[in-house]
This record gives sequence, C-alpha cells and structure tokens, in this order.
Amino acid sequence: MERRDFLKVVGAGAAVVIVKPSMIDQTLYADDGSMYKAYGKVKLVNSDGNMMKISDLKKEENYVFNYPFVGSTCMLINLPKKTAKEVTLKNEFGVEYLWKGGIGENQTLVSYSGICPHQLTHINKQESFISYRKKGEKFSGNIVCDGHTTLYDPNRGCKVVQGKAQQPFASIVMEEDADGTLWAVGVLGPEKFHDFFKNFRREFKHQFGGKRRAKKKVTSKATVLLMSEYTEEIIQL
Amino acid sequence: MAISRRDALQLSGVTAAAITLSGCSKYMGETTSTQAVSVSESTAAITTNSSTAVGVGSPAPLPQAKGPRVVVVGGGWSGLTIAKYTKKYAPNADVVLIEQRTEFMSCPLSNLWVVDAIDLDFLMHDYLQAARENDYMYFNATVVGVDKKRKIVSTSNGDLAYDHLVLAPGIDYDYSDWTTDPALEQRLRTEYPAGFKAGSEHLSLRNKVLDFEEGNFLLTVPTGNYRCLPAPYERACLIADFFKLEGIEGKVIILDENPQITIKADGFGSAFEKLYEDYIEYLPSSKIVNIDLDKKSVETELGEVIEFEDAAFYPKVRGGKLLEIAGVAKDSVFNKQEGDIDVFTYEVKGHPEVYITGDARPMGFSKSGNTANSEGVIVAKMIAGKINGKKVPWESPLTICFSAVAMDPVLAISVNASYMYDKEKAAFAFANASTNEKWDGKPGINNGKGMHEWAKGMFRDMFS
Repeated sequence: MERRDFLKVVGAGAAVVIVKPSMIDQTLYADDGSMYKAYGKVKLVNSDGNMMKISDLKKEENYVFNYPFVGSTCMLINLPKKTAKEVTLKNEFGVEYLWKGGIGENQTLVSYSGICPHQLTHINKQESFISYRKKGEKFSGNIVCDGHTTLYDPNRGCKVVQGKAQQPFASIVMEEDADGTLWAVGVLGPEKFHDFFKNFRREFKHQFGGKRRAKKKVTSKATVLLMSEYTEEIIQL
Repeated sequence: MAISRRDALQLSGVTAAAITLSGCSKYMGETTSTQAVSVSESTAAITTNSSTAVGVGSPAPLPQAKGPRVVVVGGGWSGLTIAKYTKKYAPNADVVLIEQRTEFMSCPLSNLWVVDAIDLDFLMHDYLQAARENDYMYFNATVVGVDKKRKIVSTSNGDLAYDHLVLAPGIDYDYSDWTTDPALEQRLRTEYPAGFKAGSEHLSLRNKVLDFEEGNFLLTVPTGNYRCLPAPYERACLIADFFKLEGIEGKVIILDENPQITIKADGFGSAFEKLYEDYIEYLPSSKIVNIDLDKKSVETELGEVIEFEDAAFYPKVRGGKLLEIAGVAKDSVFNKQEGDIDVFTYEVKGHPEVYITGDARPMGFSKSGNTANSEGVIVAKMIAGKINGKKVPWESPLTICFSAVAMDPVLAISVNASYMYDKEKAAFAFANASTNEKWDGKPGINNGKGMHEWAKGMFRDMFS
C-alpha cells in the first residue's frame, strides 16, 4: 500500500483512528484528481440544537455554519429559484469537476465554503466581506467577495462572473433525508483549507483559542446561524 | 605590542572570512559548469575572471537549474506575483527572483503610515518567506547588465543564465522638466523626496509630516502616467487631516500640473471642500518653471510665487533605469524610457524570451498594486504556457484602487476598472470602470475597511 493511499484511507476512515496533525495536513494537501473530499457526515441544526429543514431557511438570506473544521465557516443560501444542474467547473489548473446543483424538492439550497479562492478573504466572527446579494441590492443574485470585488454565481456552482479569481468557491456537498434532515457530507472543488490554516494563526488564537482548536473537525452536528448573528459586521462595498 | 585575546579573535575572524571567500569562488566555479549543461548553451559563456571573483563576470552562487530557468528582476508587486505564479503554473520551471532590497515595503497604503494611522508592520514583508512558501529562489543582488544574445543577466553578485527573463524594475524619476542641473536634482531627491519609491523617501516624508510646526506643506502632481494617480490627492487629505487633528497651523498646497484632479475627482474635490477647506489649497494647471530651494519657493507658469516650509516634489516618472541598461527602453506616449514590448504579449521586440511588466510597461494602465498583481498572474500564465507548449491569450489586468481621505476613522473612496484595446486610437482605454466616491458615512467607513482587506489579501497572495 502506498503512503498516499494509506493517508486517503485514514482521511476517509472513522474518526476513532488517531492520526497525527501532520497526517491531517497530508490529507488536506492530497490531490487525487477527484476534486471531492468526504469529511464526516454532519447534521445541520438550529441554535436550539434541533434539526432544520429547507423550509426553515428564509429565501435569499445569508446563513452560515462551520464545517468541516471548527474554524472554517460555510455559506448556506436558499436561493429564490431552482439552480442549474450538472455544471462543469474548473479549478485554477484546468482540472474539471461537476457541480450537481442545489438540493431539496425545488433544488434551491446551496452551500459554499466561506474562504474566497482568490486571496483568502473569509467569513469570520469579526467581519465578513463575503455575502450573497439579494434582490434590490448591488450585484443582486451573486455571491460577492468585496476583498477584491469578485462576483460568483451561486446558481452555477459559484462560477466566477467578474474579477480575478482563477476558480470558484468550493462547494459543500449536502444531503437531505426523507424527513427533511439536512447533512453536510463533503467538500467539492478547490478547497483552500491548507492555505487558510497557514495564514490566520493570530485570528484563530483570538476567535477560537488557537489554530489547533480551529482545525478540529466538526463532528455530528453543525449549528446554522444567520450570518448577521455569527459575524460582528457584514461589510458590503 | 601585546596582543589581547579579543585582538587575536578578531584576527582569526579575518582569516576565516578570507578562507570562506576563496571557498566560495571555488563553489561558484563548479556551479558554472553544471549550469552550462542544464540551463542553455549560452551559460557556458559564464566563466570566472579570477579565482577570487565575486561580482560581475563570475557565476552567481546559485544551485544548478532543475528546469527551464525563469529569472525575474524586481521584487515589487509585479515581480513577486510573476515569480510565484510562474512556479505554480509551471512547476518544472526553475524560478529566480533577483531583488536589490532585503525587505519589502509596500507603497500602497503607505500614506496612512506617513501620518501614523497604521503601523509599519502592515507595510513590511519578507522576501525569504515569499521564496520559501512559493518554491522559488530569492537572490539578493543588483542587476547591472543583460546580454540578450547570450541570455545572461549580470548582477553585483555574479552572473546567471536565463531561458526566460522578466524585467519588472518599476519606475525611476524624470526631473528633466524642472531642471537639467544635477546639483538641483540631487538636492530635490535628498531634501524633498517624492515619496513614491518605498523606503527612505517615505521615512523622510513621514518625519517631515510628524515634525511639521507651521506653514505651507507643498505637494506637486506631475503629468504623464505617473505612479498611483490618486496618491498625491490622498496624501494631501491625510496630511491635512493630521494637521487638523494635531492642531498644527499648516496648509497643504497642491500644485497640480494637470488641469484638474486626475482621478476620483468628485471624491477628492468634495473632501478638499468639506473636510479641509482651511487646510488644503488646490491649484490646478500649475506648471512649475522655477524652483529656488534656498528661498524655499517655486514659481509657476502663471507667474505665481509660492513659498513653502516643507515639501515633497513629485517629478514625472520614467521606466526603471534597468531598461536602458538592458537596451529595451523606448519613450512611450506617456513617459520616457518605458518597455519596448508587444503590448499584448509583454515580449520585448526581437527577444520574445524577455518580458517587461509592472510599472515599467508602456501601456497606459494604472501604475498601481492591483494592476501589477493581476497582470502578473496573466504574464505568469503566458510564460508557463510557453514553457509547456501552450499559447495563453491576452487578458485585461484589473485596477482596484482605494484612497483614504481621512484617517480617524479611515474613510476611503475607490475605483475599479479593466482595459480594452481601441483599434482606431491604437491604445488601451478603461472598460467597465466604476467608482465609489462617497466618503461620508457608512460607505466611506466600509471603503476604509475594504482598503485594509484589499491590502491584506494582496500581501497574502505575494508572500504566502
């Protein structure tokens, strides 16, 4: 068994396997060409800890939850209409991957990583320069990163619409049970977790008590909050 | 004479250094022969002049190239971006960044530091980190010559061969409209530096502002495509704000050779009027015809004589002197001695393996950080494409430019623009340009925060 294969197994395996932090780094680095990485299956819950359904999420509102790491914040948006399906996207090296579309009966629910793939501007507890713009707002219908005025289309897997980003935001792959329970199961596309954990040590210390804590995997459930509840300030330029 | 233990140690230190030096030259000799095989045939031309040579004519003390060697000259926003992304998009390339400075200081946002509104830490960055994180070599040396035929760059620390060469030397100043007297030029450079080449000029300017007691503080704005169009106006606002906050009886006089504010005119104009009515005097169409540094006065074409207590004289800009040394400079429609290149490929005419980028380019793009960074990614893709047999088409760089008009809190305005080629005029023009010039209230505060996040992202991009 090659070392890389072994690491992949460790990465995908049960959480009871104790791995060294350096090995976690290796799985973050790993490039197996699939552009998809399964993380632990995590139930999305409301602030009371109860399951939540798509119908609980207001249309066009910016929601967030932390996944797959304690310190990595993701966007959750119930879009006003059905998204595109089976969209082929490319990472910055031209590697293609397939975004399957929104989930739910009406295929309106989407989730993306909150780390901008351009220069790592990200949603955090202090401020967010990233948000979905609803009807009536400037750049409506797009996810905008105001770090460098980059627009992404949430209806098409966060394809770059305007700006200098070389690739889309990574998608959070979700599942919906028959009873409406929502789960986050993995990350598709150009995740930037390695660069993210390398660059923001001081922020992790301030907001999570250190990088090690920020880098812990989220297990079993993740709380969905309005972005305005999670972050002190949403900044839109 | 008795010899103390300290003297003895000093003596032995000298001997040790001498031994190291001769060892070094031997090492460099070995490097030459290996480079000759791996980089290109032209490398064989690099030979040591003598057994102790360490400068021009001897090989640079760098390891053997492991792939096509891309030499990037100039560690500014353009060079740093190109070094990183060339290696990223062509991992088989052997990338060397040659830079004469040992630390990076940002010109963007430096006006905030001049008035003590941000820490120096925010502007200073580490070339070694950039090289470490992005898998290229940082070579601390000054380029003194380029042999385009043999594809060799000569530096103060030895010569190296290239397969692809990027020249990103930035700007130099062109004082010729004001004086042809080297003594006056030297006095202007030393006593009243422009403050648009980051480093000592900014330190001088900061001390002038922080120590200012009363009187006129003169700022000049040149014509041509000068570096960072809004910066002189931003600087005027921030110095005026500093005077206001500190209760200094000073006035900022802006002598603008242009007929009007060159960019973000509504934002700056309204800030001059509403925030700094008693602190800023804006004088457009003010071409300086005489400078008397002993009397501390200037005379304009309109016959006005303006006295000043202190000043920053910003002359016209020109392409970095290196372009002339390399024989690749040509006057552009804007400035003297800019890169003589194909404006779509950045290639030097007749030497497609040599590129000129950043503020030394002849196109009328904004000479600013975001432009150089976004252009750098495009040029890196072109070079990587050439290395790996793929043609990468031209793409417009992007200008995103924030300017502060107040310091506490930071209130800012911005412009965002791409470029398109106008065939009739045979020149580039702004495309999809938009500005955000409301500095008062929430928009101004948010732009101030956006300005910081913009810079942090750029520094992350270049250094991590």
